[in-house]
Amino acid sequence: MATLNEKDNKTALLLEDLAALEGYIHDLFTFSPLPICFVSPLGVILEANPAFEKISKFSINEIVGEPIERVFEKEAVQKLTTDTLEKGIIEGREMTFIPKETESFSAQVFTRARKDEKGKAVGFFLGVFDLTTIKNAEKELKKTQTALLNILEDTEEARRMSEEEKKKTQAIIASFTDGLLVFDQDKTLIMTNPQGEEFLKIRSQDMIGKSFSEFSKLENLKGLIGILGKEMKGIFRKEWAVEENFVLEVSTIPLMLGEEETGTLMVLHDISREKIVERLKTEFVSISAHQLRTPLSAIKWTLRMLLDGDLGEISPEQAEYLEKTYRSNERMISLINSLLNVTRIEEGRFIYKPAWTEMDKLVESMINTLKDEAKRREIELKFEKIGQIPKILVDDEKMKLAVQNLIENAVIYTLSGGKVIVTLKATREELEFSVKDTGLGVPKDQQERVFTKFFRAANAMRLDTEGSGLGLFISKNVIEAHGGKIWFESEENKGSTFYFTLPLKKGLEEFLEKL
Amino acid sequence: MVEEILTPELVKKLMAFEGKIRGMDLKIDGEFILKKEGKENFEKLKEKLIKIGIPNEYQYDKIKSLDFYPGGLKAISLLAIKQVLGYDDEKIQEIGMIASKSSLIVRIFIKYFLPISDFFFKKGPRIWDKYWTVGKLTPLDLNEKEKSALVRIEGLDLHPVYCTYLKGYFATLTKMVTGGSNVICQETKCSFRGDKVHEFLLKWQH
Repeated sequence: MATLNEKDNKTALLLEDLAALEGYIHDLFTFSPLPICFVSPLGVILEANPAFEKISKFSINEIVGEPIERVFEKEAVQKLTTDTLEKGIIEGREMTFIPKETESFSAQVFTRARKDEKGKAVGFFLGVFDLTTIKNAEKELKKTQTALLNILEDTEEARRMSEEEKKKTQAIIASFTDGLLVFDQDKTLIMTNPQGEEFLKIRSQDMIGKSFSEFSKLENLKGLIGILGKEMKGIFRKEWAVEENFVLEVSTIPLMLGEEETGTLMVLHDISREKIVERLKTEFVSISAHQLRTPLSAIKWTLRMLLDGDLGEISPEQAEYLEKTYRSNERMISLINSLLNVTRIEEGRFIYKPAWTEMDKLVESMINTLKDEAKRREIELKFEKIGQIPKILVDDEKMKLAVQNLIENAVIYTLSGGKVIVTLKATREELEFSVKDTGLGVPKDQQERVFTKFFRAANAMRLDTEGSGLGLFISKNVIEAHGGKIWFESEENKGSTFYFTLPLKKGLEEFLEKL
Repeated sequence: MVEEILTPELVKKLMAFEGKIRGMDLKIDGEFILKKEGKENFEKLKEKLIKIGIPNEYQYDKIKSLDFYPGGLKAISLLAIKQVLGYDDEKIQEIGMIASKSSLIVRIFIKYFLPISDFFFKKGPRIWDKYWTVGKLTPLDLNEKEKSALVRIEGLDLHPVYCTYLKGYFATLTKMVTGGSNVICQETKCSFRGDKVHEFLLKWQH
């Protein structure tokens, strides 16, 4: 039997254990990062840990003894209490937590009933998990989701529209009267239209997927390669005589996306009908001109004989009329000659007879023929030869025509008191001719058409009504036929400068090859 | 009038008080002051206790919650607080209020808080025994309809400052047990006012 002393010792030990246990429970409760409180069955908070103090913003002393409604909505917490006491446990019920003097927030609430020895609930522990971060994340997620859905919708809409656009484009391309061939960046054919197939006489499936260089293997396309080269150089309105009476005008256009070239579009335009009409027209002009020239020549010689008195003496008045008639006839002959030249150019019959020519002398002779006219118009006509001018292989007769047209224009379209300066110079590579005047100039909006057939600038027509509009067309063809280049600079009411260059070496060889 | 100044005679008299009290009810005074008034004031309080000759093992931080200590220490502690920090009766009651909120014994007895009558008449008196080795708590009346109760304490004539403390203690305990609010506790009888016993009348609202 234990003595009283032993009992006291045991009691002391038990008290020590109890104190240690209390300390342990207290530490555990204090340590828990989860806000916890203990609630009596009447809904009074009997205990709360520091985490609960922190989340509720109430101090422990403030909140202990207070009804749980202080931090939750009344109805919701009453239901929570009832459910907890009935079921013993509630896991993760979402409720609104109302901290002291701050905004309420969503929280997940966990409860566990505490029971006495008989299993009767005598209160419950309540844990709170702040859902603010999760809710915010959820909100963000929803926003992101919505944004993504919007993007998806937009993408789908864009895809649908793109598909629609593609169909439209395909429909347009398919119904285009021109043949269209679309190449990607690697010059591989990716699309063509029925007209393209028809023009090239190849089914699209036999062409699509083939690179342009592979086109040379296809018999029907050899001519096209001949025009474009295997690298498919950029061209604009180049004619391709596919067969007799079937001519295509070929153009290639780079397809640009911003500044990036994404491919090439080749346009095949059937100009057969225009070519036939043009040919018939040229033939008509040629025949007409020939037919006109013979009687005009007869008229010329008859008038000459009359003027020279070979057919008897004429009065001064008669001579004056006859002189006017003679000059008009001369202009007519000149026009006819020009027309014939044009038809020859167009028919490719503008035959060149190259000969080593001293260009300075050729130019000088042309200036001499126009000197009197310049003097009559009170225009200063000067020739400036810079350095040594080598001999050059040209068709003397045609070159004279080109030079004469350029100087004559300068003289005709310069008002009295003006200047015309003809310059000739040579580099190792080429010979450069220029004629500068202080004349009317070509209006800017008409400059593009200066070298086209029958073009006459509006201001020029007002000054001289007799020009044919063929001179510059002929000059251009003559210079280009010699492998040269022709261009001009002009400002209305200030004057113009027309230039041409002729190659002395490389271009000359090409010129000779063509003959 | 009962002396409130902690003279050596009063300290001696109180230390000679027969009956022991649970350590937790002493520790709470120190914890309350430390939390409410800060470390500096807490140290002042400790100095005062040392100065009046309270042994080291009876200092707040040396006291073990579940051990029993001389009952007079409780009155000395409250009077020292009044003297050092100038606490009035209201603030002494506040200590009592916090003491009941943080009491381990109260937490242990929580399971008996329902129904109220059970706690009040059967289990309530036992709480007293958990605190004191002397005195007796007798529930005299509980009127749940009127929301009032009457409690008697007898055999514990420590010091009136403890009566003030108990008013705060009983008020908060009643609040926690009943879930009521605006609890008022009045000491209707007091041995220091010539009565044989102490009686506390509790009233609350819902």
